[in-house]
This record gives sequence, C-alpha cells and structure tokens, in this order.
Amino acid sequence: MKSLWVMAAALGAALSLPAQAQDKVKLVDVIELSGAGAAAGTNWKNGADMAAADINAKGGILGKPVEIVHYDTQTNPGNTRAAVQRGIDEGAYAILGPIFSGPIGASMQISQRAEVAQIVGGEGAGFTKQGNPYIFRTSLSQTAAMPKIAKYLKDTVKAGSIAVVWVNNDFGKGGRDAILPELEKAGIKVAVDVSTEQGQADFTADAIKVKNANADAVFVYLNEEESARFLRAAKQQGIAKPMIGETTLLGAKVLELAGDAANGAKGHVGLSTDAPIPALQEFGKRYREKYGFASDHNGIKGYMAVFMVKWATERQKKLDKKGLADTLRGATIKASEEPGVLMDTVIEQNGDLDRESFLAEVVNGKQVINTTLPRIKP
Amino acid sequence: MSAPALQDAAASPPRAARRIDAALVALILGAVILWFAPVGMGRYGTYVLSLWLVMSIGVMGLNLTLGYAGQTSLAQAAFMGLGAYATAILTTKFGVSWYAAFGISGLLTFAVGLLLGFPALRVRTHYLAFVTLAFSTLVWLVLRNEQWLTGGTFGISNINRPEFFGIKLFGALEFHRFVVVVTLILSLALWWLIRSPWGRAFTALRENPVRAASLGIDTRAYTLLAFAIGSAYGGFAGALYAPLVEFIDPSPFALSQSFSLLLMVVAGGAGYLFGPFIGALLGVVLPEWLRFAGSLYLILFAAIVLALLVVCPQGVSGLAERGWNVLRRKSGGAR
Repeated sequence: MKSLWVMAAALGAALSLPAQAQDKVKLVDVIELSGAGAAAGTNWKNGADMAAADINAKGGILGKPVEIVHYDTQTNPGNTRAAVQRGIDEGAYAILGPIFSGPIGASMQISQRAEVAQIVGGEGAGFTKQGNPYIFRTSLSQTAAMPKIAKYLKDTVKAGSIAVVWVNNDFGKGGRDAILPELEKAGIKVAVDVSTEQGQADFTADAIKVKNANADAVFVYLNEEESARFLRAAKQQGIAKPMIGETTLLGAKVLELAGDAANGAKGHVGLSTDAPIPALQEFGKRYREKYGFASDHNGIKGYMAVFMVKWATERQKKLDKKGLADTLRGATIKASEEPGVLMDTVIEQNGDLDRESFLAEVVNGKQVINTTLPRIKP
Repeated sequence: MSAPALQDAAASPPRAARRIDAALVALILGAVILWFAPVGMGRYGTYVLSLWLVMSIGVMGLNLTLGYAGQTSLAQAAFMGLGAYATAILTTKFGVSWYAAFGISGLLTFAVGLLLGFPALRVRTHYLAFVTLAFSTLVWLVLRNEQWLTGGTFGISNINRPEFFGIKLFGALEFHRFVVVVTLILSLALWWLIRSPWGRAFTALRENPVRAASLGIDTRAYTLLAFAIGSAYGGFAGALYAPLVEFIDPSPFALSQSFSLLLMVVAGGAGYLFGPFIGALLGVVLPEWLRFAGSLYLILFAAIVLALLVVCPQGVSGLAERGWNVLRRKSGGAR
C-alpha cells in the first residue's frame, strides 16, 4: 500500500511539468525517430535543427532564440498523442511533425483543442479534409501530386497501360487510391495492381508479376527502403519498362540503396536538393556537410517548417499561438521575403500547400531535374 | 515464471483471508489515489496515467491466462484490437452508446477467446504460442484489409468519449476518473475470481494439470474459461483505448504489441494480483520517464528491463515478495 503512495507521488513528480517563461520561442518536434518512420523522421529532425541554428545565428525570431525539443513517437499513434499533449502542456508555441498519417490523425485534435498550429510532414490526403484549422502541411498532398503524375504518364511517357506497385500502409494505400481515378481519367489502363508489405525484404515475386503484366510503364509507390529493394528486384528480372515514381522513388536514400538499379527511374518530385533553385541546392550542400549524408525531401520539410513559424511570427509581430495559425492560413510566403522557406509557398485555407514541383530522372545514380512544373493554381 | 502466491494462501486460510483483504483495501485505496493523482499534473501526465490503467486491464487479462492458468498467449493485442474496433465501429457508425459497445466488445472477445481456446486443449506452451501468433496476424490483416468496415490503414478517427449520467467526459481529467472507476470494477472482479474456487482451479491447472484432473477439476472447461476471460479483459481494454486515443488504426494491435503485453506480465510478476499494474507501469510510463535521456531512451529502457529479468525472473512483484519475506523473517527473529 505504501508502495502505491510512493508510486503515485513519483509519477506526479515526473509527469508534472514546470511552467515555461516566454524568453524563447519553444517548438516541440513530435517525430518518428524509431519504428517504421525512423529514416524519414531523422531527416526531418536534422532539417529542423539546422533551421533553428540558422535562425539563432541571425538573432532568433523577434530577438528571441528558437529552442526545439524532439520527442520520439516510435511511429505509434498512442505515443504520438502523448508527445503532442506533452508539448502543449509545456507551452509549445507550435508543434512540428509527425510525418506518418496515422500518428497525425491520432494527435491533431490535441493541437486543435489547444488552438496551437501543428506543422506536419504528412502527404496522405485525409487529414486536411477534416476541417481542422490548425493543421498545416510542408509538402504537396497526394491528391495534388497524383494528377501531375497521370498527366506525365499520358503526355511524356505515352503509356497506354501501367502496373501499379504500392505499399499497403496509410501512405501507399492513400497514394494508390489517389492515382487510380486519375489514371482512369487519363485513359490509362491498370494492367496489374500489386500490393506489398511495409518492411518487405524480397520483391522477386512482385517483380515477376509486374513483368508478366507487360505494361508500358510501372508506377512504384513504396517507402524508401522498399523502393530500393523493388528496383533491385526489377533489374534482376530484366524489366526494361520505365519506372515511374513520386518523390520517394527518386529520393536520396533510394538512390544510395538501389545503386545502378535506380538508373532510368523517373517521375514527379515535390521537393529535392537537386532542384534548379539555388536555395534548395545550397541547403542540400550544407546538410550534407553537417550530417554526412544527403537530405531527402523530409529534411527539406523539417527546415521549411521552422521557417514557416518564423515568417508568420514576424508577420504578426508577437508570439501569439492562435495568431500564428491564423497568419499561416491562406498565406503566400515568398522566398524573396523569407529565404528560409526555400521556395514560394501558398498555404490554402485547409492547410494544404500549392507550390512548384519538378519532373526528374535518375542518370548515373544522380537525380537530374529536367522540367519545373507550375503551381496547380498559378 | 509464475509465482505460487495462492498456494500458500490455500495452505493457511486465516492468514490468507487477512492478506486478501489487504489486497482489496490496496485496490480501493489505489483507485482513490489515482482519482486525485492528476491534479496539477497537466493533460499529458493525466493521459499517460489513463493509458497506463488501460494497458493494465489488458495485462490483467493476459496475467489470468498466463500467470494463473499457465497458457502462453501471443494474441492479447489482437483481442484489444477486436475490442477497440468493435467499440469504435459501434459508436461512430451505428450510434450505439459506449456502455453497450463496451459490453458487446467484452462478449465478442469472450466468444472469440472461447473459440480460439479449443486448440488450447490440444496444444500447450510454445505450440499454443504459435496458434495464438497466427490468430494475431489474422486479426491484424482483417483490420487492415477490410477497409469498408475498419477504415483499413487509415483507421477510424473522431471516436467519441462516453457520457456518465449526463456528465460529458471529454476532458482529460474527467475521462481519467472514468477509467479509474472502470479499472477498479474490473480489478475487483478479477480479485473475486482469483480467490473463488475457479481461481484455485486455474492455479491448480497451471501447477500440475494431471493432478488437477485427478482431483476432479474439469481441465477442459477451466482452460477454456481462463482463456476466454483473459481475452474479454483484452476486449475491455480495447473498448477504453479507442475513446482514450480517439483514433485507432491497426498498428497498436500488431504482433509486436502482443509481445510487449507479454513482457509487461512477466516483468510485473506473472500470477500476482498487482503484477499487471507494475508491468504496465514499466511498459507504458517508464519509456516516458526516460525521455530525459534523449535519443538513448529506448536503449536505456531495454537495458533496464533486461537487467530486471536477469536479476529477478519472477518480475518486480516476485522481487518485492522476496524482500518482504526477508524483512518479516528478520523482524520475527528480533522478537
């Protein structure tokens, strides 16, 4: 019985948190540092840290230094919710992350109830459609990206039929559900629809299925490691049809893991350190120098997220949490005004983004951007 | 792995009665403390406390299956998933009240546990673990692939919290207190069950099934019952988990979570009434506590659990009992 008292007291002491003074801009980054999302989350975390260092080197936001606290979510919705709640209790000015849609879905009501902006890295279509005015993206959503892919397949690749390979998690299933209607609209037939598992090691059977379908092109929508494994399996099976992807397929991590199996892969890229925008290239160079590996799109997203906070705070000229979200909603952030956002970014009322994106191809193990696509609503 | 706590209780009835009453008092007192504990703790602390209690219910069920009846199950998270999804679907899609959904979740998992329990009559130990492992994977696949019903990988969001006689339980503190009450009711039920002839039969089954059968215990019925009740507790835990997190997707009910629940039973002390609370404290609250260690926190957590099980294979409860016995002997000697 005594131990129960001690337990409760210790819990109380450990879980109650000191009040925060407003002498700094406190951002709480709730992010996947272990579990299935660790690769993406680590990139994001590094990007956010780099942004904070850059801002602090120039005197902070409104003269106050930025402090970022990272809480690992283990890529688990329940833990994410606890971490966001903790961030809110600690008086976070804004919540950054997470990236996976499930954990976003589990935690976004918390920041909404507290009227604190939550700037996430998710690309899944669903979470900006729930009328939550405090959720903001840092990249295009799947619904914004997929029409661009379908158009590319029809006009550039001139594919009449396609094999779709996707990973059966919220990311892959969301992408697949978003592209199928676009393909139908473009008159492209789906020759084979291949579902794969998160963490799958052997893609030989899937590659054979794709090969036997003999489609004009293959649309690959998998997470980083899985993309690389599929590309290798496809090469082994001698699939010569063009591999088309969206952002991840052409990402730095995939190119590193797939080696020359990635050569010839092409597709649409939302964010890339190889884009013909000096600010993005400069960011990529500095990231590589600091962390020893190339940043993927999640690193860029993490960097931008912090600068979105900076821009909106300087715009409203005060540290008002609710005002931050109000300022971000519907805003247009120009890179000429705030170089840290790296690209001109339009934030829609529901938190979706609109910005330029790119078409790229992998040549000799490097991503080469060949076309810049305009915004959806220029 | 399991402790013969009840064996010596049966051997000396007067002392046993006293000890069991102490357990009852501790349960009620614990509930009172937890009722007031979150005051001044903030929503995060309250949420973690609630999560701890909800997981404790799930672990209690597995403790009955494993700790008292000696059946190794790797399906407890799947039962939690069944309960959570049943509650979420009934309340969000069909407008059923949470209380009815809670009852249905318990009945459903009881029935499924009964069905799954049948192979338990034929296989034991690691063979049973394999059967339950297959079941666990099956449930996860259904949760993920039957999108029309379960929302698939996108899960079910905006799960409402229940009302209590007109009092809305949307706030963290109100819902926490509700969870405390439900946990108390469920642990009292288990406390009663364990000290009843049924509980003794479960323990007899664990210690020596042949001997239990020779004493006239219907081993088939009791094995099934232990499994089904344990599963129903998983369902109850799930029915609370859904409105606590207000969002569910298949990932918290995957096989890895079943392993984690098993770890909580063993680390807390299998076969002890308070083992599940301590085990869930280790599994849910300890990682949150260790966050001060930054990126090393999961390594630190694993090291602590590893060290604990090496030092004390009977879990924290076993360690506490050993310590208590040593103390008692010492004070007895002084007298």
